[in-house]
Amino acid sequence: MNAPIGDEAMLAARIAGYLAQQVGHPVTVGAVRRFPVGFSWLTFAVPVTGLEGDRVTRELILRLGPDYGLFAPYSAQPQVLAMRSLEGTAVPLPRAYWSSDDPSVLGAPFLFCEKVSGEAVVPWVSANEPGLDEGYRKALGAQFIDALAALHCVPWVERPIAAMANGITVDNAAQRNVALWQRLIERWAMRSYPLAEWGIRWLKSNPPRAPRVAIVHGDYRTGNFLEEGGRITAILDWELVHLGDPHEDLGWASLPMYMGGSKLISRLAEPEWFYARYAEKTGFEVSMASVRYYQVFSLLKLAATHMAAARCFEEGRFNDMRMPAMGSQIATCLRQMDKLIEAS
Amino acid sequence: MNNSFPRLIDGMCATLRSEVLSRLDDEFARGQVFGVINLLNTLKVRADWSSGFLVAQIAAQRQALDGVRKLLADTSTIGTPALPDAPIPEAPSIDQLMARRDEGNRALVGLQEWLDGAGRSVPDELRRAVEALLRRAMRAEVDIELKYSPRPLFAEMSSGREA
Repeated sequence: MNAPIGDEAMLAARIAGYLAQQVGHPVTVGAVRRFPVGFSWLTFAVPVTGLEGDRVTRELILRLGPDYGLFAPYSAQPQVLAMRSLEGTAVPLPRAYWSSDDPSVLGAPFLFCEKVSGEAVVPWVSANEPGLDEGYRKALGAQFIDALAALHCVPWVERPIAAMANGITVDNAAQRNVALWQRLIERWAMRSYPLAEWGIRWLKSNPPRAPRVAIVHGDYRTGNFLEEGGRITAILDWELVHLGDPHEDLGWASLPMYMGGSKLISRLAEPEWFYARYAEKTGFEVSMASVRYYQVFSLLKLAATHMAAARCFEEGRFNDMRMPAMGSQIATCLRQMDKLIEAS
Repeated sequence: MNNSFPRLIDGMCATLRSEVLSRLDDEFARGQVFGVINLLNTLKVRADWSSGFLVAQIAAQRQALDGVRKLLADTSTIGTPALPDAPIPEAPSIDQLMARRDEGNRALVGLQEWLDGAGRSVPDELRRAVEALLRRAMRAEVDIELKYSPRPLFAEMSSGREA
């Protein structure tokens, strides 16, 4: 069992000690503040004075992967490899600083990154909530598509994330992904879900060939980017990043759960415009058969995530009321998955 | 719902204590929260999930499993998996119903695995008939689950405001 993370005051003291070692001189850490968002990694704002030997206070973001979390045990490596690989590209994201998977440092695997200004657009809205202002959403939508296209065009082979390749090819990308999530379902499910098994069988029997192996965000949607004044300032939440078929991100972003009751992908873009603009920016044709495959995959993956939430809560690791609420949505995801398979 | 009744009650009480009481100054409101905790503790020792949806799910499974048993009995297909067929006890407890439901689901998963493995040589027509029965039962299970589930309040949980 990891040393506990402790309260914010205890965490601040440990952070100060760690950062002093990294920069080679003492620093002062102010009041650490936890953000209430997110279901998995914990996110804190950390004001630090003296990072560069001066008296300036800078706010860092600390991400901690607790051993009671949804997808525990965690590693900061995938996020760090992805964020370092995307520096200098057209993908807006925070800069990654220090990180470690050693739980003795801060109580859990962690990474420090740049604090970027902006607010997240919420994907879950009530039926009474009006849609986003037309001009605002089209401007955001264009940036949302362009950032995704830029991500999928990064020459990852020459970047740090190549360490995650493990023999992936355009021919095995789908099967390897399905096999991974099958193993995760076996780990998380507290009972048998025959419809999940049905989905796994269908996915294994119908794998598409990827047009290319690309960096796949894994959770690309409204809610996982910051915007300020109509400009996307950062894409966030890289914990599910991996190498794979870029159609996976298209399938995930287009799930009905992220449409907020509208017919717009991630509340931002008409589907036809979304795929056409993406194809234009990436230079490769979008296969709608692959998009539908990855929508089926994404619904299975979402059901698996909800199984993890239910188990996390049942084992007493987490009292967050959103966990059993997510657990109650397994049937919704599997039913929608089944409908897509039926229509395929 | 995929969590156990007692655990949900414990989680609600813990959340009320750690996340609500700690932020409430109003004495009357705090008293009301303790009242809710008190009632939740009562429900924990006296209540449980209702049986209606479990009985319906088990009935859908049994219909499929009985149909598959008949289909496979009419053929010379060897290596067919054993299927549960024990009757449901009179006045079953919720735990017993859940165990039967889960046993039925394991059988439905096992049949799919069998179709892909030892049952690979099953004639296409028989395979389609078995899969149709399985699919009907699997869909019935989630449809029943959804019928007994209220509208999720994710928008409210995200914003902390009434929608």
